[in-house]
Order: sequence, then C-alpha cells, then structure tokens
Amino acid sequence: MNKFYKDFLKSNGIIAMVFSFLLFSFTAFGQNAVHGVVKNSQGEFLQGVSVSIKNSSAGTSTDEQGKYTLNAPNLQGRLRFTFTGFKTNEVAIAGRTSVDIMLETDVSKLDEVVVIGYGKQSRELITTSVAKLDTKVLENVPYANATSALQGTIPGLRVQSTSGQPGAAPRVILRGGTSINNPDGATPLYIIDGITRTNMNDISADDIESLQVLKDAAATSIYGSRGSNGVIIVSTKSGKAGRTRISYSYDVTSSNIGKTIEYANAKDYLEQSRLSIVATAKKDPSKLARLTLASATGTGNDLTKNTGYTTMYLTPANQYKLNEGWQSIPDPVDPTRILIFKETNYQDLIYRNAISNNHYLSASGGTEKATFNIGAGYLTSEGIAIATNYRRITLNFNSTLQVTKNLDVTGRLLYSNNKNQAVASLANTFFRVASTPGTTKFQFEDGTMAPGQNFSIGNPYYHFIGPFAPQGDNSLDNLTMAIASHWNILPGLTFDPQISLYKVNGDSYSFQPTSLRNGIGAPSTTRAASSSYSKLTQYEATGVLTYIKSFSRVHNLEAKAGGSYFGRENYSLSASGQGASTDLIPTLNASATPTNVGGSKSNLVIEGLFGRINYDFKAKYLISLNVRYDGSSNLGSENKFGFFPGISAGWNLHQENFWKMFPKDLITLKLRGSYGVNGNISGLTDFQPQGSYDVNNQYAGNAAVVGSIIPNPDLQWEESKTTDVGFDLGLFERRVHVLFDYYDKVTDNLLTTVSLPSSSGYVNTLTNLGSLGSKGMELELNVQALPGSSPLQWNLSFNAAHVKTQILKLPSNGIEYNRVGGVLLYDPNTKGYRYFGGLQEGGRIGDLFNYRQLGVYATDEEAVKAPLDVSVPIDIGNPANGRKKYGGDVNFQDTDGNGTIDSRDQVFMGNIYPTWTGGFSNYLTYKNIGLLARFDFTTGHTIYNYPRVFADGQLQGDALPTQEFLDNSWKKQGDITNTPRYLWQNQQQNTGRSSMYYEKGDFLCLREITLSYSVPADIFRRIKISNLRVNLTGNNLRYFTKFKGLNPEEGSAQDNGHYPIPRNFILGVNIAL
Amino acid sequence: MKSSYILFLIVLLQVSCKRDLDLKPTSVITSNSFFKAETDVTGAVYGMYQLLRVEVANANLYFLGEARSEIMTSSLGGTLGYDKYYQQTLSATNPGPNWQGLYAVINSANLVLKYAPDIAFSSAVTKNNMIAQAYTMRAYMYFTLVRSWGDIPLRTEPTEGYDPQTIQVARSPKAEVFALIKADLDKALSLYATNTFTAGRNTWSKPAANALKADVYLWSGKQLGGGNADFTIALAAIADIPTSDVQLLPNFADVFDYNTKGNKEVIMAVRFQLLENVRSTAPVIGPDNLYANMYIQTTNIPASAPQVTKDLIGVGGGQNIWGPTAAVRSQFTSDDLRRNGTFLEIFATTASGPLYFATLNMKGKGVVSGGTRFFVNDVMLYRYADILLMKAEAKNALGQDPTTEVNLVRQRAYGTNYNSHIFVNGTKVQNDDAILQERLLEFLYEGKRWFDLIRFNKVFELVPLLKNRSAETHLLLFPVGSDVLSLEPKITQNTGWQ
Repeated sequence: MNKFYKDFLKSNGIIAMVFSFLLFSFTAFGQNAVHGVVKNSQGEFLQGVSVSIKNSSAGTSTDEQGKYTLNAPNLQGRLRFTFTGFKTNEVAIAGRTSVDIMLETDVSKLDEVVVIGYGKQSRELITTSVAKLDTKVLENVPYANATSALQGTIPGLRVQSTSGQPGAAPRVILRGGTSINNPDGATPLYIIDGITRTNMNDISADDIESLQVLKDAAATSIYGSRGSNGVIIVSTKSGKAGRTRISYSYDVTSSNIGKTIEYANAKDYLEQSRLSIVATAKKDPSKLARLTLASATGTGNDLTKNTGYTTMYLTPANQYKLNEGWQSIPDPVDPTRILIFKETNYQDLIYRNAISNNHYLSASGGTEKATFNIGAGYLTSEGIAIATNYRRITLNFNSTLQVTKNLDVTGRLLYSNNKNQAVASLANTFFRVASTPGTTKFQFEDGTMAPGQNFSIGNPYYHFIGPFAPQGDNSLDNLTMAIASHWNILPGLTFDPQISLYKVNGDSYSFQPTSLRNGIGAPSTTRAASSSYSKLTQYEATGVLTYIKSFSRVHNLEAKAGGSYFGRENYSLSASGQGASTDLIPTLNASATPTNVGGSKSNLVIEGLFGRINYDFKAKYLISLNVRYDGSSNLGSENKFGFFPGISAGWNLHQENFWKMFPKDLITLKLRGSYGVNGNISGLTDFQPQGSYDVNNQYAGNAAVVGSIIPNPDLQWEESKTTDVGFDLGLFERRVHVLFDYYDKVTDNLLTTVSLPSSSGYVNTLTNLGSLGSKGMELELNVQALPGSSPLQWNLSFNAAHVKTQILKLPSNGIEYNRVGGVLLYDPNTKGYRYFGGLQEGGRIGDLFNYRQLGVYATDEEAVKAPLDVSVPIDIGNPANGRKKYGGDVNFQDTDGNGTIDSRDQVFMGNIYPTWTGGFSNYLTYKNIGLLARFDFTTGHTIYNYPRVFADGQLQGDALPTQEFLDNSWKKQGDITNTPRYLWQNQQQNTGRSSMYYEKGDFLCLREITLSYSVPADIFRRIKISNLRVNLTGNNLRYFTKFKGLNPEEGSAQDNGHYPIPRNFILGVNIAL
Repeated sequence: MKSSYILFLIVLLQVSCKRDLDLKPTSVITSNSFFKAETDVTGAVYGMYQLLRVEVANANLYFLGEARSEIMTSSLGGTLGYDKYYQQTLSATNPGPNWQGLYAVINSANLVLKYAPDIAFSSAVTKNNMIAQAYTMRAYMYFTLVRSWGDIPLRTEPTEGYDPQTIQVARSPKAEVFALIKADLDKALSLYATNTFTAGRNTWSKPAANALKADVYLWSGKQLGGGNADFTIALAAIADIPTSDVQLLPNFADVFDYNTKGNKEVIMAVRFQLLENVRSTAPVIGPDNLYANMYIQTTNIPASAPQVTKDLIGVGGGQNIWGPTAAVRSQFTSDDLRRNGTFLEIFATTASGPLYFATLNMKGKGVVSGGTRFFVNDVMLYRYADILLMKAEAKNALGQDPTTEVNLVRQRAYGTNYNSHIFVNGTKVQNDDAILQERLLEFLYEGKRWFDLIRFNKVFELVPLLKNRSAETHLLLFPVGSDVLSLEPKITQNTGWQ
C-alpha cells in the first residue's frame, strides 16, 4: 500500500472501510460461471462487447473470438450485452452455463453515449443540440487532416476544402459563424482529450475514437468565453481490459487532378493575340511595338538564350525546327511571312499523379487494474502539384492505472511530427504560372531549362523543381502530455482533475539559389535565405467535481462544478540574410549579409469557473443548467470578466403513460429547447485593448515607430445568445431516427473591424459594434432500411442545414441604417441612389456588386449607340473619339438609365456565403461485403472567378486566355456572341468587371465510394488473425457544379487561386490479431 | 448557503485572477507604454517619414503633383489604371488617390505634437528640433491636400479612439487650412536651432521648412490673392537658404544618383535604400519606389536596339507602364545636359529606320544588386535648383529681375553651350513663361508639373486634353472618391465632380 493510500485511510478511514467491505462482500457470493460467444448477424465474432448482469456490478467484455466468461451467482439474473453500433440485448440466464447470442446492428442514435462539455450523457437525456460524427467516415480515407472527415457529415457545420495541399485544414464554420467582418475566421473551439486547441491538425484519423460537435449556446456555455463558434470534442482511442489486441492498417492512395482550367492552345493564342495587339493599337498606337518584342506573341525572339519565347519568323536558319515538333502559321498581321513556335502546356507541368502511403499500427489491452493503448502512424502524402508534399509521424500513448480501489490515474501522450513543402503563392502556381503562354521556351537549344517570363508566370519546371527552384521545408512538432485522475470520493461524488502541457514547435528555412528568377537577362544572385522558429506552449489545468444521485429512483440529479486555468505563450524567432558565395548551402550560415531579424513573445491567460446541473424525472422531464464565469487577460481592464449561463429542457413524450396508445417503440419523441449565452474573443490579439505601435520599420537606417492599432480599453466579450428548439424522433423501433433543430442566434458587441473615416489616418479599428443575427435549421435523418436480422443491411443518412444571417443593429452614427462603408448604387425601388453593402442594419455581409453584361455589340454601328462608359479610356491615338465603343465591346447595363455607365450602375452579383450545406450517404452491407457512397453539397454562394478574369483579361503580360474565350469571342462585324472581342490586356474594360465572371458555386460532390470486404474470421482463425478487411475507395471523385474554376468550395470575395482538391483512389488493408 | 459559497469563489477568483490576468506585453509597444521617453519621440518622428515614404513609393504624391499634366502617357506595358490621370478621366467613382495615407502622415505628426512637449529630453535643442519636424511635416501634408482637394477636413489632434459620434470631421475652408499651414511653419521655423541639415537631407530642417514656406506663399500669393505681401514673405524665406550649405552640383545626373544621396543640392528628399522595405508589414513591397514603373523589363528591350542604348539600360527591371509624351521629350534640346540625365529613349532598328519603342526614367533608374535592379533613388521634394527658380518666380511677381537665378540654372543645364541659352529679362509674362518652361525641363518626373501649371494658371493652355475647358474649374481639383465619401458622410463632393 502506498503512502497516499495510507494517508487516505487515516483521513477517510470510515469511507475506505465501507468500500473495502463492499468489495469483499462480492467475493463472498457463490461462484457460478456462465460463458458464451457473441456474434453479429453476419456470423462474425464481436470483440469488446460489454457483458454484465443486470442490477449487479459484475461485468466483463468479449475477447477477439467473441468469448466471454462471467460469474453469475446461482446462475440467476439477466445477462445484458451492450456494444456500440448494436442493439442492446438482454437474456435471462435461467440456470444455463452457456449463453451464445447474436447482436443486431443498430443505426439508432437515440441511446448512444455522447461526450459533452466535461462529461458524457446518453442521447436519450440530452436537451441541447449535439451532433456526433459517424466514425464510419474515418475508416476508408486516410485523411492527412482528419478535419476533412467532417465535410457533409455534421449538420450545421460548414466545412469547405479550400486547399488540396496535403495536410491542409479545411475551413470549419458552425451555424454561419458570429463575426461581422471575418465570418470565415470564426473557427470552433477544439477540445482534444480535454485539452483546448484551435484546430485538430496533425491528429491521425486512426487515433480518433469519437468526435462530437456542441452547437447551441446551452451546450457550449460551459466553455464560456470561447464557445460561441461551437465546440468540437475529440476523444482519442484508449485501452480496454482484455487480451492485447494488435492491429495494422495500410492504405495506398493514388491522386490526380480532377479538372484543370482549359487554356487556349498555342496556335489559336498566337494567331488571335497578334490580331488583338493590332486592335488595341487602334486606340493606343504605343502598343503596336509589342508585335516585334521578344515576347510570347512578338517576333523578336531567336534561338539564343537571350530570348525567352519560341515565337519567331521562319528563316532558312531556323527552318530545321519544323522537323523537331515546332509548328508554323502564316502571321495574321502580315500573311506574307510565316511564324514558327513550339507549344508547351505549362498547366500540365504543374500537376502530377501523386502517391500517398499511410501505415498505422496499434496495440491495446490491459487488465482490470491497468489498461493501455499505443498507436503509431506514418503517413507520406505527395501533393498533386509538383514540389508539394507532407509527411507525418504520429504517436498516441495512454494508460490508466487503478492506484486504489477508488482512484485511478491516466497518463496521455500525443505526439506528431510533420514535414511539408507547400506552394509559396497560390496565385502564382495555380493561375499565373498555369497561364504561361504555350509559346514560351521550355528548354534552350542547349537543353537547359528556360525560365519563362519570370518566377510568377514562367516555367514551373524551372521555378518549382530542379537546381533553380527555392529550397527549404517546414517542420512542425505537436506534443500533448496530460495527467488525469478519477477519484471516487464518496458514493456518487467524484473528482476529475487534469493537468496538461501542449506544445507546438515549428521551424522552417528557405533559400533561393542563383536563378533567372526575373526572367531572361542577368541571373538574380541575391541568394536570399531565411529561417524561422516558433513555439507555442500551453498549460492547462482543470478540476471537475461531479455528484450523481438518484432520489427515490425517479429524481435523477447530476451536478458538476469545476475550475480551469489556461495559459498560453507564443514565442517566435526569424532571421533572413543574403549574399552567400555559393548555392551549395541553403541555410543561413552561408549568408554574407543579414537582412532582417524578428522575434516576439506574447502571453494569454484565461481562467474560469463553471458548473452544471442535469436533472431528470424518470427520464421523462429533463432539465440542464450550465454556467461559466471567465476572465481573460487580453480584454480591456474594465471588462476582463464575463458570465455565461445556459439552460435547456427536454420532454421524452414516449416515457409518458398516454404514449402507450402507440405500439411499443413505434414512435419515440423528445422535444427540447434551450437558451444560452456564450462569448468569443478569438479575434483579439493578446494586447489589443492597449493599442500598438509597429516597430519593425526603418527610415534611413533609423528605427521608425508607426502607430498601427488604436487603443480601445473598453473592448469586451462578444456575446451570443442562442435559442434552440428541436426534437429527436424515432420511428419503427428506432430504425428511422430524425434530429431536428431550429435556432435563432443573436450576437451582440461584435468584435468588428470597423472602417474609419479616411481622414482619421487609420484604415480601421477593432471595436465592439452592433449585433448580428443568424437563424437556421438543421435536419439529420438516419434510416436502417431493413430489419437488423436481415443479412442485407441498408443504412441511409441525410443531413442538411440552412442559415441566414442579418445585421440587426449598429451604433448610431447619424447615417441611414447606421451604415459604415458600402457602395453608392441606383436603387430601382426608390428610383434614387443609396448605399448598398458595407455594414448596415438589415443588410448582410458578403454581398458582391459589379456591372451586368447585357450582351456584346455586334457591329460598330450598334456600339455607337452605347451609353457613355466612363471606365473606357479615351482614345490616345485619336482623342476626338473619346470613350467610343466598338463592335465586340460589352454592352453593360445602364441601370439608372442616365446615359452614362459609371460605378452607380453596378448591381447585385450574389453573396459569398453558402446558405445550404449538407450531405447524404448510403451504406449497404451483405454478409462480408460493404458498399458506401457518400455525397455532400453546398449551395448559395457566388464566386468571382478571378483566375478566369486574369486569363481572359490578360492581367499580366501576355497571359493565356481560356480556349472558351478565344473560341467564342467576337471576331468580326456582325458576330453575335456573348464573349467580347480579344484585346491585349483588356484595354476596353470588357472582362474584369463583367457579371459573366460571377459564377454560382453550388455543388454536389461525390465525396466517397468504398467497396469493402471482410474476410470471414473462420478462415484465419488458425493463424490467429481475428479480422482482415480490404477496401477500395474513391474520394473526391466528382464535383457536379457549373463553376468553371478549380474549386467550387471557396466562399470569399474572389477566387485568388486554389490548390485543387485531388481525386483519390485508395486501396486499404486492415489486419487485427 | 450554497450561493454564498459560489459568491465567495467568484470573489476569490476575481482577486486571484486580477493578478494572473494582468499581463504586461513583452514584444509590443502599446499606447500605455509608448511616448514616455526621448527615444520614443525619435522613433515616432522617423515613423512620420516612413509613412510619408509609403505615399511616395505608391506614387500618390506623384499622382497628385504631376500625373495629370501634359507630361505622361501610356507606354509599352499595361496601364495599371494610371491612364485615368493622363487621359483626364477621373471621376468620383474612378478617383485619384485616397487621402487616407496622407492623413496617416498627419496623424503621426499630430501624435508627436501631442506627446513630445511633455517628455523630458536631454537637450532642449533636440526636443525643439523634433517638434519642429512634426510641424513642418503637417504643413507639407496639408499643403499637398489643400492644393489637391481644396477645402479639406482639418485634424490637429491624433486619432486615439473610436467614437461614432465624434470621429467624423467636415471640411474646413481653404483659407483656414492655409492659416494652419502658415502657423505651423512659423512655429517650426522658430524651433529649429540652426540653419543646417542637423539630421541629414532626408528629414525636415530649417532650410527645408523655408523652401516649403516659399512654396506655400507663392501659391497663396498667386491663387488666394495674397499678392505682393505673400511674394515678399516667400522671398524672405528663401533668403536664408543659400547659407545652409547648398549648391548646384556641376553634373545634373549626380543630383539623383544612388551613390550620391544627400548631396549638397538636396534640401529635402525622401530616402529609399536597399534592404529598407517601404512597408515592413504585409504586403511587403520591398524597397522599390514609384520609378519602378518607368523603367523596362529585360524581355521588353528590343533585340535590335543599338548596343549603346542597351549599355545605358544595363540590367532591366520594373515595368514600362508610362513615360513622357513625345511633345514633352521634344522640348529638350539636344544640347540640354538634363536630357540624358532625365530620360532615355529606346529605338529599335528596323528596315524602314529607327522605330520608337519606349522611354526610361534615368533620374530614378535605381541600382543593381545581386543581378536585380532596385528602384531606390531618393525622391526629391526640394532641391537647390527649385529654390533658385522659386526665387526667380517671386522676384518676377514683384517686378524684380529674375535673370541671375534663371541663368544659374541654365549654366549648369547647358554647360559649354550655355552661351546660346542665356536668359534675358523680358516682360513679366515672358519671364513667367520662361520660368515655367525651365521648371518643366529641370523637374520632369519630380512630381511638380501639375501644381506648377495651376500656380501659373496654365492648365487649360498647356494640357492638350484640357484645352478650351477653362470654364470647368473643378478640373483643377481632384474628385473626392466615392470610397472616401462612403466612409465620411460629412464630406461633400467637390462642385463639378458630382
């Protein structure tokens, strides 16, 4: 007996004696063993099924061959078999020593156990809005970032895969977020094994035991100041008593790009570009010189290394190139001469077929005294864009030891290390380099790589890979260590303390070797090098007292009280240098000149007290009360503390006597409602209320200090009040299960970056401003189509959520609707002008405005009648022509009908935020074969397709337009088309501001199809393999969308380049011993 | 009982938390910790220049001071939207620069003016010098604003908080703005201890304040009816400058060269240099200034250009977005030594003779480092040639003979050919025309032409696209952008620009 137990005995002698007595008294009963085997409806052995004797504390679980043995006094009583995903079964022992049983699968969620804030609760008794992830979605796809599994699987959670970079986290927003100025930054709070985090990156999906999302304010108010954007609670796997189980899984993934942008081929491009220069020069003669430049469309190139493009006139000296795959066309500007060129598709060079591997080995088991779990993962993932990859090592170790009969201790260690290479600039890679003209030289005549125009729109094989590409990588270590304990102080009274350390260390370096970074000409020999290091250290301590008591078997009470301390320190260091004498050393030690140093240290402390009371009467009437009192160091001195209460109630109608009019279990129904208050300060930097001055400036070698943030000591909590009503409906013996929620959320004192008057000298400031309302509804439906006893099982699930946000109130500033910002437009309703957009009461965030394209003028005569368009430049060659339009120019809508097209004629183009999100899945199993098909959808958002504007409008140099643009563009008088004429660099303002480039982002994605096969256990029994499962999976197979860009999931003002979401084909194997 | 226990816990938390939650920042300067010591003021003063440099680098001062004159036109590259200036297509919806950045400089000066007086300095001379620089800076910015927009909001206190009720400020009449500018300059001049460039020629100093004062009074004398009284003050302000160690450099191009920064011709120039980012916070745009758009990228240099031209260009860099019009280039005679120091014309060799390609800015051609051209020449605000021509202008306005000053400038400009370009005193109108013409040749690219044309009342005569439009006087001002109007409900549009 250790010292602790001795001390404990001294101080709590009586209690200990009572415990000891109880313990010994069990052993005094008669010893009769009952044993048996548990299988599922397919005849497979089930391991880990809890077997207990009803109304007694005796219990065990089945081994890997489904066997159990249990002492049953006098072989009487009822055996109870419970197992996640299966219907609970009860059977009377009735004197038998052997009881075999089959468990039916159960998709019903009505009696699942749900992890909530600082505790667990049965779905039957829950009164708030909590969604639980069906972990089936984690089984087949080896996610480099497990957050992706939430896409389309949790109603009300908008998960947008904005990047296909391996390991990148998708954007996760609950119920539309609570922010006015950065709705996409309203990330939920993540609680992983009780430890607070801002993301769940670098957690292996294989380590996840369960994941739930707390959605309404009553559920999240126990997390107080950080709960208003929802709370995602993740539990990692832990050991269970029983034989040690070892399992290994391996997946190999082949990934490719599903869809690329269709850029013009070199021939059409060259032909039409030269004509476009002539057309442009009609207005601006200075542009005619471009025909003879050493450019993509100019004839100034030759075969030397002094020019970067292949476009040149055919001469006897270069005629031989036609035998080497070069093409030729008559020069459309001077048909007497022949142009030759070599075509390269640069977009294709960016992408590759990528291979990823995922290994995961785990061991778990233990005794009644101690359990353990070890999981080790190794994942390598190539990106489908060249020079991008991700490699991750994960380790999850935890163990629980029963120190005394009423005290156990758990230690946890969760570690990951990742190294990755990501694209330096999304825009450069995915639409600038991709639109490198096809006539650009890929190699010089001597076989060395050619750079193209420069690193931002050039040859990806030169600038991304090989000796001239930037070097370097990023590495990140994630370490979580925790010690927790569970102490049964008195019957019903427990204490759960946990202390943890969470540490994230990142380091990276980069180096630019000597290269033709700026294109043809002198090589850039700067040899810029940089290194950085960052460290996040987070200490967290929580202690929770729980008291559970049933009075007269009808009044059930659970009360909790606890406190938490959260301290976080960020530390960073960076340095850069240049002027190394060699390309051989990519790290800073070779730099001759230091160019910049940086470093910072910053702290945050949040402390809180919280409590909860759950009460139910006969599981019929349910009520729950949550409170939290929080203080935070990054708030103004007068507003450091906040109080966040939540209350919820539920009524299980099927527990009522009058419900007996329905056949048993035909209909079960719970009505529930909740109201809660929670806060948010995620938008605040650590010392924001005190204002700040930028110190990293220099003027003429002197340190220069510039005011950057206006102080605001009154900054306070953002406060969300949410009312949520819903019901849980079960039909046909719970084979149909419906969860529905309607909510109305009002967030006051929004932490908002408000635009300041320009003459204040500041662009904006952060303040608590106004109220935002969001209303929405969420539906989750699960159907087990066939009876549990059927060998064929068909489970359907569907979820959908709708959200609508509106600005309710802004501080009075004497302007109509207390507007801040916005654009002045013609309002057809009032036939006057008023401000749209910006922030105004009754308005919403994310509205887009621009010019509506009515058509394209077919002839010059028709164009003469065009309204005066102030954005069209005056004819430089002939100023008397003014802003004249010609055939092929766009006919924009003169909304106010005043004969002039100016910015007031802009109209609504759409909104950037989705309104509907959701998903559905079908899961069919027959004996050992399973087929899963999973879809998700997002609708309502509009995307400004900037990559297409960039291409068609030639916003850089001689960028390639899309083939569609060239094919359909207006070419000669009388052409009837919706695509304007092709002018060099869009001189007529025909493209960038046109409604044609605002596209609906609505999509339906075929996210996953999996065919799986479990080899029957009998086959392997001799070689001790208990389970072998093989799956073939397709992931991100197809987006059904009208959006023409690479990724329809974006939801911000404009598509600024996206790493496309890869299409993955996966083969997975899972073996368990 | 239970509730009192909870209350006790809350009180305990309040007490213990207050201490835990009261963190002091390590790596940021907050308003609580700043403006306590002399070094804070020094940092804040250089902060003003940093913000001024941002406005110079992103060409806002150039857009206001020169881009709408007859000088610039489109060139080889795209337009970057600059065509709205030289094509005179500005409107409220497609306006010129937003004045936010200019007011940011004013705000930084206002912060110094508010806090510096109460801070103890080791030397009163240093302290006065800092305050004087802030006054001069505020005067310069308001002078730029009032010439560009006319009546403008006057802010003499720093913005230090957000209050929806008081943050909006209406326009003040031009006269009030000029009164503040003049008062600021007088305060500044009384605070500078010596008539020297104490902290170099890239910060405000007594000679620079005097140069600005002369500029201000020439404007108010001509545009606000100040007349002879103002010209006299301008002349008096100039009188002290020659004794402050200034001279015309013998070689025109040396004035602007990267390697001769801060030379004796410079009175006030905005400093640019390698490794000194114009903005250290995102977006980092490196050390380049506005002249990056007046050079040429290597691929755009015609292969057939003469080798001598290629040698003068050296390593390509930047973009050829805009350049001087043919009409302006042709006004530089071939014996004008300023021609080669100002621009370089590129011609391609073709079968039918030389074909004009583009013009490069040689005053701002920068320096090559590590194979890359960086546009880091200092940008002139005032230099001695300007003082001489302002003096000539003031003297002529007062009926005095400006010959000496004009000829000093011409001697340097024409060197050995000076004798065929000697200025001879004529009528007042003739002299003004000659002075204005000299300013064109001397200051091309230096951001002065548009304001010069207004001051000499020549906009509607010399800007081709504005000829015969003298009735549209609103064209002399800039429109207030709808982006500004949407945020500043108390600001009204300039009449004529609605």
